[in-house]
Amino acid sequence: MINFLTSFSPAFILIAAGIVAAFTPLYQGRKFLMIAAPALVLVLINIMYLNGDADGALGGYFQVAGIELTTIRIDNISIIWGNIFAFAGILNGIFGLHEKCKITDTSALIYTGAGLGAVFAGDLITLFMFWELLALSSVFIVWRGGKESYPAGMRYLAMHILSGVLLLAGAVIYGKATGSYEFNNIGIDAPGGKLMLLAFGIKAGFPFLHNWIQDSYPKSSVTGTVILSVFTTKLAIYALLRGFAGTEILIYIGGVMTVFPVFFAVLENDLRKVLSYSLNNQLGFMVAGIGIGSSLALNGVAAHVVVDILFKGLLFMSMGAVLHRVGTAKASELGGLFRTMPLTTLFCLIGAGSISAFPMMGGFISKSMIIAAMFEGHHYIVFGMLLFASAGVLEHSGIKVPYFAFFSHDSGKRPKEAPWNMLVAMGIASFLCIYLAWPWGGEFVGFKGLYAMLPHDTTTGAAEFHPYTADHVVFQMQLLMGAMFAFTFLKRFGWYPPERRAQILDFDWTYRRLGLNLLKWIDAMWTRLGALIIYMLKTMFGRIGTRLYHVFSPAGALSQAAPSGIAAVFTAAMLAALLLGAYLF
Amino acid sequence: MAKKPKKNTTGLTRAQIKERTEAHPLAVPFLWLGKEKIIKNFIFVPLFGLIFFSLLGFKYPLHHPASWDFAFSYTLIGFAAYSFVVLMAWPLFKLLARDENYYGEEDND
Repeated sequence: MINFLTSFSPAFILIAAGIVAAFTPLYQGRKFLMIAAPALVLVLINIMYLNGDADGALGGYFQVAGIELTTIRIDNISIIWGNIFAFAGILNGIFGLHEKCKITDTSALIYTGAGLGAVFAGDLITLFMFWELLALSSVFIVWRGGKESYPAGMRYLAMHILSGVLLLAGAVIYGKATGSYEFNNIGIDAPGGKLMLLAFGIKAGFPFLHNWIQDSYPKSSVTGTVILSVFTTKLAIYALLRGFAGTEILIYIGGVMTVFPVFFAVLENDLRKVLSYSLNNQLGFMVAGIGIGSSLALNGVAAHVVVDILFKGLLFMSMGAVLHRVGTAKASELGGLFRTMPLTTLFCLIGAGSISAFPMMGGFISKSMIIAAMFEGHHYIVFGMLLFASAGVLEHSGIKVPYFAFFSHDSGKRPKEAPWNMLVAMGIASFLCIYLAWPWGGEFVGFKGLYAMLPHDTTTGAAEFHPYTADHVVFQMQLLMGAMFAFTFLKRFGWYPPERRAQILDFDWTYRRLGLNLLKWIDAMWTRLGALIIYMLKTMFGRIGTRLYHVFSPAGALSQAAPSGIAAVFTAAMLAALLLGAYLF
Repeated sequence: MAKKPKKNTTGLTRAQIKERTEAHPLAVPFLWLGKEKIIKNFIFVPLFGLIFFSLLGFKYPLHHPASWDFAFSYTLIGFAAYSFVVLMAWPLFKLLARDENYYGEEDND
């Protein structure tokens, strides 16, 4: 049985389910697949993992062009991503039950499968194949946002294809130099290492490469944004952790990633875009943790991936529910929705509390591991950046999103509560946000259950960590209360900026405006230059023709009777030239 | 002097009855959250929290403090960081905000 299971990647089950969904006319059938397929995969990967040896379960071997591909590697790292990806697939299926869209269902299943396939890839070529499939399947989800999302989808696709090309180039250089395509620790100094780091960086939203997230995610459909928020960026985190753990530059890249989105998020009016910046900010914590590379930091990264998928998904779900019911997620158009959407409000507040790292909520037990590891590593500047960003997170995701959507001024809108399936999905995510931070109970209950999944032992040794110490709780609450008081203080005195509809310029201005205008200018100059060259050639040939006409035409100089004296001189000159030539050469 | 809104036998004004009718049953006990007075005075909740946890900072100091840490250092960090982010939004908005249709791609909501 186990031999049969390990003969092919469980990702293919989801991809096959996606293909079947494409030909299933009944939406109930597709919805069944949306939930049943990831549930089946969740069970199978755990059976495989539990039956594997110390290195985990290896299998799914294929030979392609003389290279052996390993499509299954379920070890103590990939199982964490595998479990949360499969579980998120189920939640996404529940959240999207109301939507009768064949394209979303098909793409979501293939996208989930590609994410799992990449996580379980044991070699760089398999990783590349699923990496590209991830991009191709997800762009259709972006495009489901309507015709307005088409340009954003094209930019999304361009960035991800570029990422894939860089990965392949790096993998080939690495494979040629080392003779191995195995996907383990690569390091930035390895042949092709920088290319692969850049490839992973695009998907992880490194600074200046991040705009595809804020560009495409808010433009997707209600369900689409929730699905998109799970896989691509977290896969990049997995790839960075697997290939570049302990790479020092990642500490600083991560630090910058935590800080800059905070400033953009406060300016944004579209709450789904605010959450997209918030996603970038949370990825920064993970990237910084990978940069440290200690067992405590890597545990923090793995734990943060799990809780981030839950609370970020929950926040996107709540804003999706608002968009579904009200028709907009613009802060300037919302307010007072708690009156008719109390459960959505409650779930959003739980998500907001979790991302802000309130004690007893998700982020508290994971983010603090990364911050503690940063402090232990004596990276005090980045440590300060992470503290600053923690207060910033409270601003945009902890307060701004729930406050402007559900409280603030009364917009007069009285939408119905979210559909039952959305409430169920949000309810499950909310429960887990609290459960995974629950401080009491046995060895596998609450946060101890999550910690037991982590790659390094958290009870003793270098990765030992106890989140619920009095000083940790007190000082975390100080940070949050200080920030909350600042909000109420600034709001009361009218210093909090109002929400206004606007396009906020980010780095994508360089290619959406500057780059585009530069190309237009080059095109215009090329057209002008072409016209000038054609004019010059025409003029030149016209003049040559005129001259030749003047010489050779019946009315030209050569047709006229020349005086014998001139002819004699002309003949003598030609003879002299001939003799000179014969003498010299 | 402003005229007081009339109350009926239930002790509620017409506006309150309308608000209750429109609200989700689960939200009715929490409608006070939307009152102007509550919103205005909400500042005291984080203020008391801030004072409480700052005082607790003396009793439970950090086990591994940085050289700059003291009993309520995180309160100040939280307040300063949050205020800086929000106040920076004013000049940044002037610098970076453009018309919604700046790129010529209309929004879907």
